[in-house]
Amino acid sequence: MSALDELRQLRHGGGQVRKRDNKAAFWFLAPWFAGLVFITIGPVLASFGLGFTKYNLIQPPKFIGFDNFARIFSDERLHNALGVTFTYVFVSVPLQLACALVVALLLDRGMRGLAFYRSAFYLPSLLGSSVAIAVLWTQVFGTDGLVNRVLGAFGIEGKGWISDPDTALSTLIVLNVWTFGSPMVIFLAGLRQIPAVYYEAAAIDGASRWSQFWRITLPLLSPIVFFNLVLQIIHAFQSFTQAFVVSGGTGGPSDSTMFYTLYLYQQGFSRFDMGYASALAWFLLLIIAAFTAINFWAAKYWVFYDD
Amino acid sequence: MPRGVRRRGAAWAVLLSLTASLLAACGSGSDAGGDLTAEPVTLRFTWWGADDRHKRTQQVIEMFQKKHPNITIKGEFKEWNGYWDSLATTMAANDAPDIMQMDELYIASYAERGALLDLNESKKHLDTSNFDQKALATGAIDGKQYGLPVGLGMYSIMVNTDLLAKYGIPLPDDTKWSWDDLKKIGEQASKAGGGQVFGVQSPGINDTAGLSIRARQQGKAMFDAGGKVVLPPEIATQYWTYIQDLAKSGIAAPPSVTVEKASAGLNQSATATNTAVFGLWWNTQLTALTAASGAKLKLLRLPGETQGKAPGAYYKPSMFWSVSSRSKHPAEAAAFVSFLANDEEAAKVLLTERGVPANQKIRDAIASQLKETDKAAKEYLDTVPVSDPPRITPNGASTVDAILKRHTEDVLFGRTSPEQAATSFIKELQSEVDAAK
Repeated sequence: MSALDELRQLRHGGGQVRKRDNKAAFWFLAPWFAGLVFITIGPVLASFGLGFTKYNLIQPPKFIGFDNFARIFSDERLHNALGVTFTYVFVSVPLQLACALVVALLLDRGMRGLAFYRSAFYLPSLLGSSVAIAVLWTQVFGTDGLVNRVLGAFGIEGKGWISDPDTALSTLIVLNVWTFGSPMVIFLAGLRQIPAVYYEAAAIDGASRWSQFWRITLPLLSPIVFFNLVLQIIHAFQSFTQAFVVSGGTGGPSDSTMFYTLYLYQQGFSRFDMGYASALAWFLLLIIAAFTAINFWAAKYWVFYDD
Repeated sequence: MPRGVRRRGAAWAVLLSLTASLLAACGSGSDAGGDLTAEPVTLRFTWWGADDRHKRTQQVIEMFQKKHPNITIKGEFKEWNGYWDSLATTMAANDAPDIMQMDELYIASYAERGALLDLNESKKHLDTSNFDQKALATGAIDGKQYGLPVGLGMYSIMVNTDLLAKYGIPLPDDTKWSWDDLKKIGEQASKAGGGQVFGVQSPGINDTAGLSIRARQQGKAMFDAGGKVVLPPEIATQYWTYIQDLAKSGIAAPPSVTVEKASAGLNQSATATNTAVFGLWWNTQLTALTAASGAKLKLLRLPGETQGKAPGAYYKPSMFWSVSSRSKHPAEAAAFVSFLANDEEAAKVLLTERGVPANQKIRDAIASQLKETDKAAKEYLDTVPVSDPPRITPNGASTVDAILKRHTEDVLFGRTSPEQAATSFIKELQSEVDAAK
């Protein structure tokens, strides 16, 4: 019996069987549903309420109206954190997608050992936001780290890249670019979808590889580019672990790695100002929603749907 | 249909009984002044620290459990940083450990939010008669004893005498040296160190004691009795100018090295890696730093103690024992704290790992067992002149170390001037205190 038949039988099947199946489904879904309500939806709604209160985690919350939201506009350290986060998002995401696309194009040419390379490039995506990699990063970019050893071999004297506020953020950007594996895999799948006949026809007409890329590959791949762009921007706005580990939770030196999420965390758990932290969480949601909306609006002008 | 009803009824019954048992569990607490229970009780006890501390503490827990077979103590230990994050979240979840190792930075913040038990309520189980009143006062707010001081420490200069001997620099006379003297001798050491070893480990990164001591030497303080920030901006400016000079003249390591070492922990510090001759440390860290560096380290008095109006040095409680105000077994928790603080057998295991004991009877009881470095730390505490301790860090100012570190970084990397750092630091600190009210 194919899955389709099964579905049909479920739809039209006898009442008793259907009821029993429904009940079973309910029990199987219950753990997930409980998790959704208690671990996701509940806290989300609670944080909305807490955004209007002064709440120090121990004493009961006190209603203070829009004070927390008003503070967002006068908090200079928050504005710095926004600057750091925007720099991170708008430098690292385009670089990451460019890397992903270039490597995907290379792998798409059907080289030997493709499966190995695909996995090898994908691996950092799995590890990228882990604590272990962030710890490794502090070693690699430290004063006596790998980067400086390599530079030293060329007679260049390095410095503590992570402990200098001028370069600390760049190391985190490099870390994010390095995790280009997951958009790359999606690009690869997208490239496979483009019919070979287009390229054959173009080749017969004498189009160079360069113009094939611009006139065939890119337009037909644009929905995939769009998908990756939306996803990675949202993802980058929410980055936390890397900055937390690399700066030892401080966002330093000199607030140079103070991501929005890290600042939010500090407000809640170091300053015990959970009301403001909740307001910040909702403000971040607004920011991400705004950029996603802009993305969808702009998509009309550059994303090309074949069908 | 009747079957369905019965089943639903059964489900409700299960739910109700679950809720009832949960409520019962919440209600079955004893009061802090009552008798110890004979029923089995489990207490959770949390502390921060390194491996050595975990081993010793675990040993003491077992000794206590032998004496009180019905009480089980569950130890939860962490690193300093993770400790406060975790404590804040467990507090919020109403799931705080019964007994906590508490720090001077946070005690007011937790006490004023109602999270800590007034230990005076448990006088029956907790003996504090062998504590000096001044020492006890460091853990009290408005007459309520929210923490029992564990050990005492003093800010000091640690000098690597092996390096001094190697460079042929004589040991400075610490009974009358000034901050300028430290700078001068540091410069000599840096020259001899040839870029590998520096004279002074940069202060201003790890804690605020250095700034507080500067103020105290000039008869001022960071906070007044009411918790208001009264640090004069000139003193903060002086402090950051000094730090800036050390870095610019090469007496301290380059800023990025300083910042990197500071975030890597005690074992990676300049003193521990023998890359700085002088460093500001708590006297009780002598043992750990000697072990890490493998060099001979000596405790010196702070510079500037005789030039100013008053000695800046003071007895700082290294940490406190506190009991959660929501503990269901406050009497048993107090009994355990009393054991930690008063039992001589326990003291012989713990020794000075948490600082030179604040309990004077215990301090004498363990004197014969101390290592060379512990003896030196105790002698320092016994001989160096001090003045009254500063006011406890007020509620809201727990982040003062982080604020200070950020301002020091701003100065070191030339993002701000010492004057601007001073004004901005004071303003931010005050607004933090105000926000917590």
